[in-house]
Amino acid sequence: MAKTILIVDDSESIREVVNFTLEKEGYNVLVGVDGSDAQKHLNGTKIDLIITDLHMPVMDGIEFIKAVRVNEIYKMIPILFLTTESQNEKKMEAKEAGATGWIIKPFLPAKLIAAIQKVMI
Amino acid sequence: MEQFKSKFIEEALDLIQDLEKSSLELSADPMNKKHIEVIFRAMHSLKGGSAMFGFNKIDAFTHQLEAAYDMVRAGKLMVSDELIDLTFKSIDHIKVLLSDDDNLSQNSLRNHDFLLNEIRQIINIEKKNSDTPTTSNNSASDAPLAPEKPKHYYIQFIPKPDIFKNGTNPILIVNELACMGTAKVYTFTSEIPELEKLNVLTCYTHWVILLSTLSTIDEIRDVFIFVDLDCELVIKEIEVLDSLKNGQLFQMLDNSFSNGEKLELEGIEKWVQETSKQNQSGNELAAADSTYKKTEQSISSIRVSSDKLDELINLVSELVTRQAGLSLISESINNKDLITIAEDIEKISRRLRDNTFGIRLIPVENMVTRFQRLVRELSHELNKDIAFQTEGTETELDKSIIEGLIDPLMHIIRNSIDHGIETTEERKKSGKAAKGKILLKAFYSGANVYIQVSDDGKGIDTRSVFKHALKKGLVKEDVELSEKELLNLIFLPGFTTAENITKVSGRGVGMDVVKRKISDLRGEVSLQTKKNEGTTITIKLPLTLSIIDGLLVKINHVFYVIPLASVSKCFEFKHDQLINAVNNLIFINDGHIPFAYLRKEFNIETVSPEIEQVVVIEYGDTRFGLAVDEVIGEYQAVLKSLGRMFTSQDVISGATILGDGTVALVMDPAKIISQFTYISEEVLN
Repeated sequence: MAKTILIVDDSESIREVVNFTLEKEGYNVLVGVDGSDAQKHLNGTKIDLIITDLHMPVMDGIEFIKAVRVNEIYKMIPILFLTTESQNEKKMEAKEAGATGWIIKPFLPAKLIAAIQKVMI
Repeated sequence: MEQFKSKFIEEALDLIQDLEKSSLELSADPMNKKHIEVIFRAMHSLKGGSAMFGFNKIDAFTHQLEAAYDMVRAGKLMVSDELIDLTFKSIDHIKVLLSDDDNLSQNSLRNHDFLLNEIRQIINIEKKNSDTPTTSNNSASDAPLAPEKPKHYYIQFIPKPDIFKNGTNPILIVNELACMGTAKVYTFTSEIPELEKLNVLTCYTHWVILLSTLSTIDEIRDVFIFVDLDCELVIKEIEVLDSLKNGQLFQMLDNSFSNGEKLELEGIEKWVQETSKQNQSGNELAAADSTYKKTEQSISSIRVSSDKLDELINLVSELVTRQAGLSLISESINNKDLITIAEDIEKISRRLRDNTFGIRLIPVENMVTRFQRLVRELSHELNKDIAFQTEGTETELDKSIIEGLIDPLMHIIRNSIDHGIETTEERKKSGKAAKGKILLKAFYSGANVYIQVSDDGKGIDTRSVFKHALKKGLVKEDVELSEKELLNLIFLPGFTTAENITKVSGRGVGMDVVKRKISDLRGEVSLQTKKNEGTTITIKLPLTLSIIDGLLVKINHVFYVIPLASVSKCFEFKHDQLINAVNNLIFINDGHIPFAYLRKEFNIETVSPEIEQVVVIEYGDTRFGLAVDEVIGEYQAVLKSLGRMFTSQDVISGATILGDGTVALVMDPAKIISQFTYISEEVLN
C-alpha cells in the first residue's frame, strides 16, 4: 500500500514541488499550510511520515512537532523538517521537540527522496 | 522545476510586500518584536525558495539579510535607521533580481555588490564586538581524500533506549551502512527482556558493524547525522594489513559473538595487531621477495582429499545427533552442572558444525572479477555504456558449484549485454538513464542459494519468442501458451533468440545448455522479464548442508522440522478460525496470507487441539502459513535421506533423529509453497 506523507509548509511553491516529487514517487500526499491547519489531518488518518517547515505563521513547525508527538497515534512516526544550513540551534530545538531528521533547503528531488528513505521503509 | 518557478515569483512578490509593510512599521516602532519576526521569516522564505528555483543571487543576498535580522532577533543588533534604509534598498534590489537573476545590467551588478558589502559590514561590526575569534581548524584541505582501496571500519552503534520517540528506526540506519559496501552486521539482542517486562517504546538492541567501503569516514558519520545525539557511536578505521585475511577476522568475531562477547573495539584492535604481527613475522621468515610472498599466501591453504572431508562431516553429524540426546537427558535429570555442560557442548558442536561445513565453501566474490572484465570488454566492443554491480557476493557456495556456475553465468551476462541492454541512443529515446545496469546478486533463502542476474534493458518480447519457436518447429501454431510458458520456450534446445546472430552471444550455445548445466548442479533456472524494464534470470541452487537449523513442530504426535532460515514468525490461532478461513487466507499483522492446514493436507483425522499455531514461512517474495498443532522450538537437524521408497513425494526433503531416538520429518518450504498454492488455485478455478 502506498505510504502517506503529510507536507506542512506555508510556501505554496515549496509545497507544490514537494507534492509533485512525492506523487511521482508513488506516495500519497496530504498538505497543511501551517501547523494548526495540518492538525486537521491528525484525526486517525494513516500517515507514515511528516515533512514540515519550521518557520510558519499561526503555528510554527516546532509547536506542530510537539503536537504530533503527544498524539498517541502519531507518537512514533518519522518527522522531517525543512531548514537552511544557517540554523543549527533550530535543528537542536526541533530534535528536542521530537523530530527525526531534517532536509536542508535548497534541495533537489533526489535529495528529498534520499532523506525520506533514510527514515521510512 | 521551471513549472514551479512562476509560482515562486508570485509568492516572492507577496513576501516582498509583507517585507515592505513590516519594515515601514518597524521604522515607526523599532522595538516591536512582531515586525522583526515577520521580516525574518519573509527573508528566510525568500532565501529557501530562491535557492530551490535557481535564483542564486537572491539566495546569497537574502542569506546576509536574514543573518542580520537573526542578530536583531537575538538582541545582538539594534534596529537603526541605517538598517531600515538598507532593508528598503535591498527590497528594491530583490525585485530587480526576481525579474532577471542571471543577466543583470552593469549598474545592478554594482548595486548588488555594494549592498552586499553594506550588509556584511553591519553584521561584522557586531560580530567583532561579541564573537570570540573562530579558529579554522577544520579547513577543507584537511578533509581526507577518497581512498581507492576499500577501508575497513569498526562501527559500534548503541541507540539510546528512547530513540523511538523521535520516530527513528535504527534498522534503516544499519541498512544504509550495509549498502555502502560489504558489511558484516552483528546484532545484540541479549538485553531484550521477557515479554511481560518489555516496553515497546524502548530500544534494547545495539549493533556492531564491520564495514569495508570506499566511502570516507565522514560519509559514514553522515549516515548517523540525524541520531548523533541519540546514540553512542564508535567509528574507527581498522588497519588490516594485506597479510591479514579478512576471513580470519570475521571468523574470530563470529566465534566471540556466538559466545556472547561484546565485540569491543579495543579487543579487536589488539587481535588485529597481534595477528598481523604473527603473519608478518611469518612472511619475513619466508622471504622478502614479493613474488615469493604471493605463493606464501596461497600456501596458507592445504589440499585435503574430499574423502577425509566427507568423513569429518559425517562425524560432526553423529556428534550433533548424540549431543541432542545429551541435552534431553540433562534436562530430565535436572542437575545444574550437567545442564551447563550440555549447553556448552551444544554451543561447541554448533561452532564445530559451522566450521566444518565452511571448509568446502568459497564466496561468490571469487568469480566476480571475470564477469567484471567480461562486461567491460564486451560493452566496449558493442559500444554500450554498462555498469556492472554486485550484491551479496560474500554469499558462500560449495567450491564445485561455483566452478560449475562460471560458464552458465558468463553466458547469461553475455546475453544481457548483447540482447538486453540497449544502445545509449535507444535508452535515451525510451527515457532511461544512458548508462545500462547489470546486477549480479547472490543471497540465501531457506535452504537455497539464489544467484540473480538482472539488467535494466529492453526485456524479452514474448511474441517474437513465439514466432521464433514456431519457425524452428518447436511449437504448433494453434497452441495457447501463458506468458510464463512462452518465456520457457527460450530454454528449449535448438532455440536461438538473436534475430540476427551476433558474434557475441549468438554462437550456438543457447539457454538450453545453461539450463542443463544448472540442473547438473541440482539447480533450477527461471526467468522474469518486463518489456522496457529489463530481464532477471534467477538461478536457485541447493545448499549442500547436511545439518540445518530448524524449527521443531508437532502435528498429531509426529515431529516435523521446518528449516529455520525460511521461518519468519509464529502465530497462535483458535481451531475454528483456521477451519472457517475463507479461501484459505488468514489475517496476520498487516495483511492476508494464504496458509495450508497441514492436518488436512497430510490426511490426519484425529481430533485437533483447540489452539493451533501458524508458522509463517518466507520464500523469495512469497509468504505462506503452515498450520501445525504445536511449536516446540529450535533444533539442529542432521539431515538423513528418506531412501528410494519416498522419492515420489515432494514436501518432505528428509528426516532427522531427535535426541530420544524419535524420527522427525524435514519439510521443504519451497515445495510446500509450490504444491499447496497450486492446489488452492486449482480449487479457485
